[in-house]
Amino acid sequence: MGIELTPRMKNWIEALGVHVATATAKGYPTVMVADRCRVEKNIIRIPITARQKDQIAGNLAENKNVAVAPGQLGAVRAPYQFKGKGKIEENELVVDVEQIYCTKPGAEAGLRLDVMCYEKMKDFEESRWKDLIPPGAK
Amino acid sequence: MAKLTEEMKDVLKIVGKGGAVVHLTTCSADGVPNIVAERFVTHYKDEYILIGEMFAQKTKVNLNENEVGCISIAHPVKGHTWVFRGPCTIISHAAPANYKWHGIKAGEVLAEWGEWATKEPPDEVPPDIAPPKLAQRGVIALKVEEVYSYNPEEAGKRIL
Repeated sequence: MGIELTPRMKNWIEALGVHVATATAKGYPTVMVADRCRVEKNIIRIPITARQKDQIAGNLAENKNVAVAPGQLGAVRAPYQFKGKGKIEENELVVDVEQIYCTKPGAEAGLRLDVMCYEKMKDFEESRWKDLIPPGAK
Repeated sequence: MAKLTEEMKDVLKIVGKGGAVVHLTTCSADGVPNIVAERFVTHYKDEYILIGEMFAQKTKVNLNENEVGCISIAHPVKGHTWVFRGPCTIISHAAPANYKWHGIKAGEVLAEWGEWATKEPPDEVPPDIAPPKLAQRGVIALKVEEVYSYNPEEAGKRIL
């Protein structure tokens, strides 16, 4: 079942992009990076080039598991990890998010956020961070 | 085996010293990837990258069953669109000093990088994202076997 991303999560990864990990069925990983994406509730749509499609198509054909982390300054200020299933639709990698983790260093590292209800997940992050939109983003 | 360039070595250090925050990717043996940002990073000799092991959970589980990792440059990128891939492990503080892994010795690695928070304290990290306390449990080591580009127009192109 898909998990809806909060506005803060959406704002940071739409503005600053994502690092995307895929892997073979036996666990050999590959990382791809996109400098932007689009979030629709539980879906992350990541535009990919022909080279990127070639890079990940083989992995996704045998293993749909995908992990996504915020890129650029988001790697520092937006400590989330999104896990789910990925598929290629034309020139996009489409990720259906099933799990969301807090990756803030410290006692909350690895805390699973999606097990909270949506409002509690928002409260959790709004009580910790005031930058709901990354600097310079519209 | 790949030998890191001087430019790569300059980027593979903590952001407070002009380096970059990186993402570390590992994967379970049955193919579930895990990706987390890491601040405590350095190159080691000519072909290794080290990361402070402080809060790794899934990373540790994954490396215990599938000894491979990727490190990608996250912030600031400054055109350094690199992914380093190779065998990866955790050298625990509990490891014997003479334990060897892919040509490096646990005792030597831990003597130099086992107290990272003292050596390179996270002074540049803003208080709302800095952990109140750091407790290092060891060092994550990756032996660089290949480096490829993540630039979207040449994604996957082998650099080293």
